[in-house]
Amino acid sequence: MKNKSLAYFAGILFIIGLMMSTQYNTVNGTDPREVRGVWEIRQELTQEKQLHSELLSEISLADETLDNYGAVASESPEQALKETIEKLRNEAGLTEQSGPGLEVMIKPSLEAVALGLEIEQIAPDMLSRFLNEINRTVDAQVSVDGQRIINSTAIRYINGTTTINTLPLTSPPFEILVAAESEEDIERLYNQLVVSPIIQDLYIDNLSVEVSKPQHQITIPAYEGELNLSVLQLAEEE
Amino acid sequence: MWLPILGLFLGAALGLLTDIQIPSAYTNYLSIAVLASLDTLIGGIRAHLQNVYDDKIFVSGFFFNIVLAASLAFLGVHLGVDLYLAAVFAFGVRLFQNIAVIRRMLLEKWAKKKTQTELS
Repeated sequence: MKNKSLAYFAGILFIIGLMMSTQYNTVNGTDPREVRGVWEIRQELTQEKQLHSELLSEISLADETLDNYGAVASESPEQALKETIEKLRNEAGLTEQSGPGLEVMIKPSLEAVALGLEIEQIAPDMLSRFLNEINRTVDAQVSVDGQRIINSTAIRYINGTTTINTLPLTSPPFEILVAAESEEDIERLYNQLVVSPIIQDLYIDNLSVEVSKPQHQITIPAYEGELNLSVLQLAEEE
Repeated sequence: MWLPILGLFLGAALGLLTDIQIPSAYTNYLSIAVLASLDTLIGGIRAHLQNVYDDKIFVSGFFFNIVLAASLAFLGVHLGVDLYLAAVFAFGVRLFQNIAVIRRMLLEKWAKKKTQTELS
């Protein structure tokens, strides 16, 4: 083959190689298009950071427990175990808790009273959203109408009544007690609740929300029912 | 002989290293352009083996085929008919035919050489 022809072939093959690699890049290297806005990304970042700090605090808690075991193991392992059980009972909501907190009154709205509307119970999903709003802001102990809310608490609609742990909720007005670890948390929760859109949402259902100023000491009653642990299983050791 | 292969490697390396990408809407055009250029290349090799190779025909065929295929695909997109399939089909068939012809010619050459060495 003549040199000139070879050069032509080389040029054409160069273009083919370039086109093929471009095609390859395009087909294999396209990232899914980023459509999230800055705020969505910020929110996700906040969530991840929260998770991060929660995990960190859990790790430090576990470390503390481990230290406790180590420190008292030689003298009294029962004591460490008892402390752990007590801590777990606390976390599960089986004991009375007190701390800085606030009271939230859910009342029929003034308009509803003035117009003589029938006062309806708070809808279960509204109550759940309200509790989510609290839990989203701080790690708090909550009781609704004297009933402690724990992880397994079911808020349901049974035969026309809103129930918590299958016990019917009284019609408004009723009280929601919230206690948190620190004064700052409660302050934060107060600020959050006051501006929360959930208050407007409840107003549509003719309910008004009155959030008390943060108080130094609020006592949350213990959970009274039985804990149903039948679905829990012992984790397999690795 | 090594020059074309070097060209191919250079092109591929340039494309991969610079990480050029085209908008994904145009991948159809590029794929059909690649097919058209492969067809021209194989056709060129075949013409060379048959001793009818011509530089002008080769180079003009290369660009003309690419432009034709891309415009056919373009027209297809705007008419709502997958016309680029026609180009894919035509080039695909020609590609295989040309490769078959090249194979036969190479085999013939090889057989001739063998008989010659056996005779001598």
